[in-house]
Amino acid sequence: MASAVPAVSMVGITKRFPGVIANDQVDFEAASGEVHALLGENGAGKTTLSHILTGLYRADEGTISLHGKPVAFTSPREAIDNGVGMVHQQFRLVSRFTVAENLMLGDRRGAGRHFRIDPGAVDTQVRDLGERYSLGVDPRARIWQLSVGEQQRVEILKALYQEARVLILDEPTAVLTPREADLLFATLRQIAGEGRTVIFISHKLHEVMAVSDRVTVLRAGKALATVQTTDATAQSLATLMVGRDIKPVTREGQARPDSPPVLEVEDLWAEGDRGITAVKGVSLTVRAGEIAAVAGVSGNGQRELAEAITGLRPYTKGSIRVKGKPVRAGDARSAFEAGVGYVPEDRLGTGVAPSLSIAMNLALKSFRNNCRGPFLRLGPMRTNAEHEISTFEIKASGPDQQTDYLSGGNLQKVVIAREFSASPSVLVAGSPTRGLDVSAVEQVHSFLLRAAENGTAVLLISEDLDEILALHDRIFVMYEGGLSEMPPGASVDEIGLRMAGQAAGAPPA
Amino acid sequence: MNNSLLIVLIASGIAYGTPLLYASLGELLAERSGVLNLGVEGMMLVGAVMGFWTVQRVHTSAGIALTAAILVAALAGAVMASIHAFLVITLRASQIVSGLALTIFAGAAGLSSYLGNDLNLSDAPARHTFHAVFPASMQRWSVIGPIVFGQDILVYVSWACVIAIWLYLSRTRPGLNVRSVGESPAAADTMGINVTSYRYAHTLAGGAFAGVAGASITLAITPQWVNGITGGAGWIAIALVIFAFWRPELCLVGAYFFGALQALAPQLQARHISLGPTVLWTNALPYVMTIVVLVVVSSGTARSRLGAPAALGNAYAREER
Amino acid sequence: MRFTFERRLRQPGWLSLAVPVASVLFAFFVAGIVLLATGHNPLSTYRQLFDAAFLQTGSLNQTLIVATPLAFTGLAAAAAFRMKLFNIGAEGQMYIGAITGAAAGLYLGGNGGSSAFVIAAMVVMGCLGGTAWALIPGVLRAFCKTNEILTSLLLNYVAGLLLTYLIFQSQSYWRETKGFNASVFPTGKELPPSAVWPGWTIHVQGGITLPLGAGFAVAAAVVLWVLYKRTRFGFEAQVLGDSDRAARYSGVRVRRKILAVMALSGAIAGLGGASQVGDFAHSVDGDPNGLQKLGYGYTGIVIAALARYNPYAVVLVAFLMGGLENAGNTLQGANFPAGLVGVIQGIILFSALGGEVLIRHRVRIVRTKRGVAATEPGPAA
Repeated sequence: MASAVPAVSMVGITKRFPGVIANDQVDFEAASGEVHALLGENGAGKTTLSHILTGLYRADEGTISLHGKPVAFTSPREAIDNGVGMVHQQFRLVSRFTVAENLMLGDRRGAGRHFRIDPGAVDTQVRDLGERYSLGVDPRARIWQLSVGEQQRVEILKALYQEARVLILDEPTAVLTPREADLLFATLRQIAGEGRTVIFISHKLHEVMAVSDRVTVLRAGKALATVQTTDATAQSLATLMVGRDIKPVTREGQARPDSPPVLEVEDLWAEGDRGITAVKGVSLTVRAGEIAAVAGVSGNGQRELAEAITGLRPYTKGSIRVKGKPVRAGDARSAFEAGVGYVPEDRLGTGVAPSLSIAMNLALKSFRNNCRGPFLRLGPMRTNAEHEISTFEIKASGPDQQTDYLSGGNLQKVVIAREFSASPSVLVAGSPTRGLDVSAVEQVHSFLLRAAENGTAVLLISEDLDEILALHDRIFVMYEGGLSEMPPGASVDEIGLRMAGQAAGAPPA
Repeated sequence: MNNSLLIVLIASGIAYGTPLLYASLGELLAERSGVLNLGVEGMMLVGAVMGFWTVQRVHTSAGIALTAAILVAALAGAVMASIHAFLVITLRASQIVSGLALTIFAGAAGLSSYLGNDLNLSDAPARHTFHAVFPASMQRWSVIGPIVFGQDILVYVSWACVIAIWLYLSRTRPGLNVRSVGESPAAADTMGINVTSYRYAHTLAGGAFAGVAGASITLAITPQWVNGITGGAGWIAIALVIFAFWRPELCLVGAYFFGALQALAPQLQARHISLGPTVLWTNALPYVMTIVVLVVVSSGTARSRLGAPAALGNAYAREER
Repeated sequence: MRFTFERRLRQPGWLSLAVPVASVLFAFFVAGIVLLATGHNPLSTYRQLFDAAFLQTGSLNQTLIVATPLAFTGLAAAAAFRMKLFNIGAEGQMYIGAITGAAAGLYLGGNGGSSAFVIAAMVVMGCLGGTAWALIPGVLRAFCKTNEILTSLLLNYVAGLLLTYLIFQSQSYWRETKGFNASVFPTGKELPPSAVWPGWTIHVQGGITLPLGAGFAVAAAVVLWVLYKRTRFGFEAQVLGDSDRAARYSGVRVRRKILAVMALSGAIAGLGGASQVGDFAHSVDGDPNGLQKLGYGYTGIVIAALARYNPYAVVLVAFLMGGLENAGNTLQGANFPAGLVGVIQGIILFSALGGEVLIRHRVRIVRTKRGVAATEPGPAA
């Protein structure tokens, strides 16, 4: 399988960012015809390494060669010309363009080479490629009209259209249902089978075990080992990846029909940013001490649901009650005064005011109660901040530090500290662990559990099924704006089918 | 017939609207690449003064002098825009504040006034000006005479520019690239499109257009140099881009509408017609109408969002963490 | 070789002073090149400038006269810009404040009110006038999402036309209709003595009068600082200025806040207009070549930016800029290039903006190994 000359060879790669070494003397090799997994926790340096290979970043030290020829990319253009394509975690698509226009962007070989362009010219190519690799998508559709899964197909098509010989995918399954992920794996195997190299970046062991031929494990910026997947076990990889035994948080999920209902949502309708109805008649009750976990592929109305409940988005129809009292539509202040806490999906943009101090961000909601007349009480605000920084183990130089200098995990702890210290009766958390490293994930999970133990009704919205399975009392699935509850003890496959819009038991399309 | 108020207003609306058209086309190019340049007024003024200076000082035939003047004005506008480009593209400064700074630097109390004074330009009318291209007999044709054939060369060139920019943006590869840079610089960068050069090129082109717009005032409409001669036209041009949903063909319609509004006051005075209670009303009309149209356009929030380039106003940096 | 900008993990305090100072020095350096290129001697020009601004007899007095309105417009800009509300209508709001302030002075002063009462009324009316004018773009921004930059700017032209109209094109309440001069050249009606704002004279440099308005400006700066740093209102404004979404998340009523900040900004500018009438002009100046030519509103933006929106710094910078403007006005024509002051101000603003980047980032010069993509011929150069 591995030929004599590796398709990709990176030697001694070092990349520093202010305050961190993202890659530290990393050696990495991938052969033609293999699916090579790059495994590591968030923050281990996987994405940085791939950005160096695609010419987005320049390594401070180290050399790269492709098929034995040394290369030093100074721009993504050169990487593309040398047959390196990448599917980024955050898609790099122009959402107002059509699929065909996105494919022609930066194209130097095919129809986009000419001065005059005709997006119609690539239609057949898109269709052919789509058929060959089971990546069907309408070339005339605009990106914003497509589902997240379809957008990912466009990204892969883009790389194939550019005749990439090395294809890198960064956490591609995060936006897919389990079934879609299986289809993707088949496509990746097919691509590798043609003698191309697929580099598959993930932090999920079972996916790596399922799809890859070899695995390189990264930890804290260093490459620890490269092993044949067949020689490895999930356990051995896990130990390598984390460097210590992981004690994943689990709990015995159970419905609590005896607890008093705290959050009652009835027939809720709300619109998304583009004015299209995003939440369609959602009803749900969460009781005290219960964790209601909402699964679903991103973009099915979860964010809009969370924002409607927390008052950030006006709802058009229906009602929300907290402890029996109605919450006014689109009034965040009345929502949190009624006891609704919110850990938003977008922590840097919504959860904090990024360039203000940590102390101010910790007081973002409580400052109104901490006043003498119109004047703020800065002393208590600061003391309180110091207290919370130590309670929640926020790594910061002090309460005056600017918040966006914190790492993702510590930023999330600021948000959680603020929301928890208000002792909310309802806590809505949107993808609270996305992008966090393993120890931060553990901490966030234990905070959520502690909140539930203290009698808070928790509504956990996540795209990560493992997280949902670990924390839930009840599982809901959101699909195209509708919410449905899974029966207790539902299997991953059943949940996956529901996420794809199929009722359990119905045959797959 | 040709003297009826409507025909005269349309014909002079086209003439008065031409500087607005050039300036808004330039701003459109810059904004389509994601760079908001609020310095249009200043760039126009520097273009106006430099174009005027060329005509006064270059002693050749009218044709050569005027051509040279337009080129000098374009160059001057582009030089002004390059300051903005450096600050907002390379140094990633706030586009709003930098644009305002450009207006102050180049504007009515800044460089344009410095040059106008220092080069002693305010004492004489322009030695050469742009005149109607077609013979007087054609201009006498009913309706289309004054409207289509009564214009100077700058008007006809501006029509060509509208078509060229429209084709450029919708049909060509660089046009596709620049739209992607304005919509999603990250996507463009990943596909190997040089975001920085595209933004520089279009910001500078925008400045050149603004320079020409300024010169078209001092060499065609009011052929003289007066400090602050643009009188807010640069700001109306920026507003025009919004009205036009970032589309060149609609810039043309908007520019002529506002040109006609500007022509309205003198035309009405000449005919001793009073519109509304006072002269104040007529004078303020272009500004007030701009505000009114802005409000109408921005109230239909969804529609205006459809037009604005998604990355307008945002600096792009690849390696920021 | 290329430049990269690395985010500073911590911003050294001295930079926030060094950058504005360096900006000013750099601006004089670049403007010096412009002067040389156009055949002027920069050193002697600058000497003239400083003499006229601060040193020669009567210059400080004159500088204060210019600095006072600049402090108001600078504070007006700082109050709004800090919240990312780009009110560039301080110019027009100042005109309207002058008109309403003058109306109060003419009316109440003419009817024999006590001086303190008349002045208080002028202050209130000036603030209200500026507020009303600023609320037009404010309401449009809050309720129709209309870009406040364009609307507030266009309203400057409308306010200017209104000012001219009241004195030159109509028989308005503000216009002087009696007397010989009035029939020759239209002027504004003179304020009665009880409506003229007092000043305190210090007997140096031939007498320097501290205008009452300058006192109001300093008071406004203090109020603004306390408001933004120490109150709930300021907390919310800071959050909103940093992130719109975080503000809504933290329960800020965004529309109300936009209106309040625009009103505040307009009130300060309007107070500047009232001071213009009460302290200095004693009548409404409708001349298109008078108040309108001075462009105090626009210079206010330069001042606010250079002061990094800190109200106390605004007052200080306004004084220095006032000197520059004053020198520009007095020297105009006399072998001194007009527009030079605007050029210098523009460059100061440019370099202050560029300097912001240095405060936030560390510049690194990277020597690039030029591309040796094996399948491609190496790029030229």
